[in-house]
Amino acid sequence: MIPIHEVPGSALPGPAAIETSGLSKRYGKVSALTDCTVSVPEGRICALIGPNGAGKTTLLRLLAGLSRPTAGQVTVNGTTPRQDPAFLADIGFLAQDIPLYRRLSAEDHICIGAHLNPRWDAESVRERLTGLKIPLDRAVGKLSGGQRAQVALSLTLAKQPRLLLLDEPVAALDPLARRNFLGLLADAVAVGGLTVVLSSHLVADLERVCDHLIMLASSRVQLCGDIEDLLAEHQILTGPRKDTTAIERSHRVVQITRTPRQTTLLVWLNGPVVDPVFEASDVSLEELVLGYMGQDAEPALAQLTTVGEEQ
Amino acid sequence: MTWLVWRQHRIQFLVGAALLAAFAVLIVITGVQVANQYHAACAAGRGCHAGSGLFLGSHAVGFLIISTLGAPALVGLFVGAPLVAAEAEAGTTQFAWMQSVTRRHWVAVKVGWMLLAAAVWGGAISALVTWWEGPNNALQLNAFDPGRFDIMGTVPVAYSLFAVALGIAAGTLLRRTLPAIAVTLAGFIAVRALITLLLRPHYLSAVTVFYKVTSNLRPPGSFWQVASGIVGPNGQAIDLNTNGNAVFGIPANYLPASCNQVSRGAFTPPPSCVQAASHFRYFVTYQPADRYWTFQGIETGIFLVLAAALIAVTAVTLLRRDA
Repeated sequence: MIPIHEVPGSALPGPAAIETSGLSKRYGKVSALTDCTVSVPEGRICALIGPNGAGKTTLLRLLAGLSRPTAGQVTVNGTTPRQDPAFLADIGFLAQDIPLYRRLSAEDHICIGAHLNPRWDAESVRERLTGLKIPLDRAVGKLSGGQRAQVALSLTLAKQPRLLLLDEPVAALDPLARRNFLGLLADAVAVGGLTVVLSSHLVADLERVCDHLIMLASSRVQLCGDIEDLLAEHQILTGPRKDTTAIERSHRVVQITRTPRQTTLLVWLNGPVVDPVFEASDVSLEELVLGYMGQDAEPALAQLTTVGEEQ
Repeated sequence: MTWLVWRQHRIQFLVGAALLAAFAVLIVITGVQVANQYHAACAAGRGCHAGSGLFLGSHAVGFLIISTLGAPALVGLFVGAPLVAAEAEAGTTQFAWMQSVTRRHWVAVKVGWMLLAAAVWGGAISALVTWWEGPNNALQLNAFDPGRFDIMGTVPVAYSLFAVALGIAAGTLLRRTLPAIAVTLAGFIAVRALITLLLRPHYLSAVTVFYKVTSNLRPPGSFWQVASGIVGPNGQAIDLNTNGNAVFGIPANYLPASCNQVSRGAFTPPPSCVQAASHFRYFVTYQPADRYWTFQGIETGIFLVLAAALIAVTAVTLLRRDA
């Protein structure tokens, strides 16, 4: 039932940097993450996309070991997240609210990092912040939001982790700074040995650099896989307003939009579309994400989560 | 981690050290004066009693010394309570806990240094006060009094450790600095008051001695009087609450008429009156002076156990709870 794609380069996915199965997190009666099964191979830049409150932060915190799952398993860099210096040394996590000691300077933070981490590239932080004209000796509480974000991002990178988890890292940056930072990430991943997961509720931020996607909505995984694969597996069909049961029988319809004149369907393909009445067109990442966001979470879609990893 | 603790808290450390230094200078200068006066009075053979002149001019210092009752609380309020709460509020635990340092290590080093600082704070203040008050204790024989017992010896160290542990635990559980400070203040005062009033008198059972009311004897040294009174010839308790006259502390209505002359201004009671009064016994229920260090040790132990329990609560909470 699940389509097999021959995508060059992904035929032999490396070992997974992240593997979760049935991962759930409840806060009292509120379910922040439900039955999350995802996998991200090493060396990817994975976009974690979803509307506000979808569970993105919860998932990142579970991966970082900052919180513990209510149910399910999580494996990061081959082990369960735990309180162990070796595990922690391999994880870089930057929370959304950019936690830094407001009264301390960037240089102080660089020294803290040097004292607390086995690997620490202090020079890269100084170089980068100097290049951005961010004063190293001023209390970070007195810097602008964007400057503070740059300090925090540089510090997270200086740890030289194998897995970098960034929660809305570019939200505080101006468009040029976003582009530069994402470029920096892409370069770091290209050097090797680094996997990145970065969350956002804006697709535009991420589609330039990301090659992997996890999409959450209503605490559930809607999509997970290689972005190229996902785009190839979906199409938009546009045709006159008519009965769509034939299409729904052979393909999985993600979203239907009907106007008096025409019907637009976002479908997950299961073989070629034979109905000549419908005109098929490629789907953009944004259309794909919006299509899945527009429908409610359904357990049936959980099977999609494995698409990216199918041989 | 130690470097981080130092960098984060160096202002608190320096302010604390400066306060201690200022206190030490004041106490040493005035204390030397007090000691000199005391020794001069002793050398002059006036039974070491220099009268009211001894501590003259040191009312401000005397007030400062009494106010060291509150010194342990300061370390709980301004060092203990914000230790975890301020980090939780600012979210900086998420920074610290994502460095290559386990939470266990983080807690141990941070709490460890704060406990050490609290012990030094309480110990230094207590050492200075104990030294300064030495002549006073010798003169007044009141080292056991509530309010004096609490600012000397080893107990201020235990109070400081308890206060800082209470602050840390409250901050950990509440995760907000101001409520943690309020709870620490209320908790510290409540626990100190309860233990002082309800527990301390019963660390060891008090001793009761009887004296002839005519004897003028008292227990030796710096004892702690728990109760006192007079019993009659048949062992009956005497109600001392009377508006009438009293002879040898005995209300006149318990005594023969011959004693009434005493209260009219005659200074020497007639023999028949002394004879009647000698059947009455004055009793003192008290903690003997030589139990002073036992009591210090017991109270120190109680507060150390409380501090250890609070630190355990802090550690378990931080290690189990999600960041």
